[in-house]
Amino acid sequence: MLGKSKIINRLSALFTIRGNELALVFAIIAIIGTTIMLDTSRSYLEYPGTSAIDVLRNASLLTIFALGASVIIISGGIDLSAGSMIAFSGTVIACAMLGLQSLGSTESPTPQWIIISGGIFAGLLAGFLVGSLHAWLIISVGLPPFVATLATLVGLRSLARILGESTTSLLLSAKKSQIPIEQPFFTDYLRENVWIWIATAMLLAIFTAVLLGYTILGRHLYAMGGNEHAALLSGLRTDRLKWFAYVFGSMTASLASVFYLANEGVSAPVTQAVGHELNGIAAAVVGGCSLQGGIGTVAGTVMGALFLRTVIDAVAKIIKTGADVWQGIIVGVVVVLAVTLSQYKSSRAAGRKLFAGPLGLLAIVILASLTGFLVATTSGATIGSVSSVIMGGLMLGYRFFESRR
Amino acid sequence: MPSANSQPIIQLVQVGKSFPGVRALNQISFDVASGELHAICGENGAGKSTLMKILSGVITLYDGDLLIDGAKARFSSTRDAEAAGISIIHQELNLVEQLSVAANIFMGRELQNRLGLRDDRRMNAQAKELLASLECNIEPTVLAGSLRVGDQQLIEIAKALSLRSRILIMDEPTSALTESEVARLYRVIERLRANGTTILYISHKMDEVFHLSTRITVLRDGQFIKTLNASETSAQEITHLMVGRELESVEITSRTRSQERIRRDVVLKVEGLSLAWPGHARGYRLKDVSFELHRGEILGIAGLMGAGRTELLESLFGATPIAPTGRVLLDGQVIAPRHPSEACRAGLALVTEDRKRLGLLAKMNVGRNITICSLERVASGWFLRPSRESKLASSMVDKLQVKTASLRTPITTLSGGNQQKCIVARWLLTNPKVLLLDDPTRGVDVGAKAELYRLIRSLCEEGLSVIVTSSELPELLTLSDRIMVLSEGRQTALFDRIEATQPKIMAALT
Repeated sequence: MLGKSKIINRLSALFTIRGNELALVFAIIAIIGTTIMLDTSRSYLEYPGTSAIDVLRNASLLTIFALGASVIIISGGIDLSAGSMIAFSGTVIACAMLGLQSLGSTESPTPQWIIISGGIFAGLLAGFLVGSLHAWLIISVGLPPFVATLATLVGLRSLARILGESTTSLLLSAKKSQIPIEQPFFTDYLRENVWIWIATAMLLAIFTAVLLGYTILGRHLYAMGGNEHAALLSGLRTDRLKWFAYVFGSMTASLASVFYLANEGVSAPVTQAVGHELNGIAAAVVGGCSLQGGIGTVAGTVMGALFLRTVIDAVAKIIKTGADVWQGIIVGVVVVLAVTLSQYKSSRAAGRKLFAGPLGLLAIVILASLTGFLVATTSGATIGSVSSVIMGGLMLGYRFFESRR
Repeated sequence: MPSANSQPIIQLVQVGKSFPGVRALNQISFDVASGELHAICGENGAGKSTLMKILSGVITLYDGDLLIDGAKARFSSTRDAEAAGISIIHQELNLVEQLSVAANIFMGRELQNRLGLRDDRRMNAQAKELLASLECNIEPTVLAGSLRVGDQQLIEIAKALSLRSRILIMDEPTSALTESEVARLYRVIERLRANGTTILYISHKMDEVFHLSTRITVLRDGQFIKTLNASETSAQEITHLMVGRELESVEITSRTRSQERIRRDVVLKVEGLSLAWPGHARGYRLKDVSFELHRGEILGIAGLMGAGRTELLESLFGATPIAPTGRVLLDGQVIAPRHPSEACRAGLALVTEDRKRLGLLAKMNVGRNITICSLERVASGWFLRPSRESKLASSMVDKLQVKTASLRTPITTLSGGNQQKCIVARWLLTNPKVLLLDDPTRGVDVGAKAELYRLIRSLCEEGLSVIVTSSELPELLTLSDRIMVLSEGRQTALFDRIEATQPKIMAALT
């Protein structure tokens, strides 16, 4: 048996900070610093506790399904369906709870704990089944993972609506796809107790880190992601490994859906977690997972999720009104920047140049006008054009520097 | 021979190139005379490929100077190099398999008609002419991917011809060719030279080098060693210069020992093994292959490309998409693995032919590459025990004398021979009864080859039985106790070591 101190050593080794993760820590600190300087209502300084909890709560939520995404990406696949899976699982949970509730009568209502655990179980079961379906489509039908999960990305939302409408028309005799959550466990307890969110994310992170770092299964997942054919010819059951990865991915989305329900108080197939699969993938990629498979860490993914949420929160703090309009473009820019910077060394070694040739010039024009446009909408046309010129000048300068290298 | 006063067509002056952590080339200087066939020899990792990449504009950042016709040239892309008249035919051919032969020949320089539309008819006609001049009667409209490797290579040569290249670089062009294709390639090379083309020929096959070349330049460990006139040197001298030390040509095993081995008990018995090939005119990849493998024996399998060597090993290993028919007995028990994991459990091990694609886990380090098949041995329950794992891995590194800085070294930084040892180590850890080796010395340099031979021999002394395929007959003749010959999926001969000779095997190959 391992001694206690040895176990602690092992656990700390799991979260050893590597170069990329360290860079993310600095990036997060830099963003917080910038927000403190630019935020006119000084919320980080005035309410540090609330702000921190708010970021951590959202980061925990993202971490849960980003971990699923990272396991799939490390195994050499991709899952585009996580957002829809969250909406679908949310609907399944709501419907299951509605069903369990209707089993009881006013004199002897179904016990709360049965309704809640039954609902969550149904959600996780849905994740298990959808993940298995993905695995079947990919292994037996031979679809590329991109196609298989693209199909469920669009299909699951539709299915969730159908399920919600048929369940409500059956049980409430009022056909509607949105089902309000009436259990105080969700709407009050889970909603208020953010530590549960954080604890769930942390426990899942530790579980995933042990799985990837210290089990045979984890090693096999890395091997398959790095070279599937070689892994197969080494006698690895690649079909079972894929099945595990996709089931794990979908079930983490199911787990996340529990917290989405708590947050929003309603299952909403059409609007819930739209596009969030990309946030999960972005967190994994920013955290150092290679989309080619075989490379990635749990620590990186957790830092990636925290980083993304810090950025999104900073946008909300700085811009105040209508921050959600800006969220998309800022996350997009930040993902590109983060990955570009983390690859900077190897791209330079490969002799790659950022702004070489006519395409480089075109890119400078695009980026400068984009900057100008965005600045102009907030600060007026004059400042906009000035910043456009400055941005263009900087990039031209870099282009010149690059060409002399 | 070039006359002393003529201007060299290529001059390399102190050319150097570093990759992170590696000095791939160090101050290389030599000339290539116009119209000669200049062979570049060196072991893997000597810097041949890096040098050719600089010459063909693939690598643009390097130290030193490159002079073409006496004028300094600095290519910023392969297009620049092509414009200067330099074409390269890579060992791994650069064809788009989904496009037609003509489309490949004219890629990047597609002909247009007056309307600015692509002129396929003119390209097809010109392609046909070019191919005809290379003794090649393939239709320019067929897809490049449907052709044999030898023909695909001619497409690349035709492309170089259409570019009117004055300098042609060929990187190990014969590694995948049959005897008759090699002969055809030689004739094409003669013709190119008659037209004044200068050829840089990279190879480590001495017979080719001496058959073709006027001068030979030897590189070793990124250093320029020597340029010699082919007429004034010998294969022995070149090999010596390449390796940097004397190579013992070991007689691996004696004939009497060999005779004794093939009388031992049978480990593997294969009866009427066939593998269907649906949708192909022949209908089968393997037909009625039967043989026995004795304890401690090395059975060599000879065959040209497409003869079914790899398919035979994959059938035994359960790695074919369709199940083979016939009976396979291992230690008297029928086995019919349908997945490599089942074969592995039964006691078989397969070292695959294409190491990079099918063997290496390129993103993992040396240690993890070695233990990947036997993690159960170093785990308690579900959990890996890192200390046990590294102990097991380093025991194999010691046993097979893998040259690596540590177990954490990325496997891709090792030489071909050492990578191959790691893969063999991986399989030895599974304690196999039969080891299947598919062309194990491909891409392995001369020095490491001899070491691998000795390793295989010593494993057999310990009682392991081995089936080995090879594209090089001398290799099979050195290693094997018996040699089975495959031709187009059929077993055409089975020789004892005593009766096996190169001409006899050649006769059975076709």
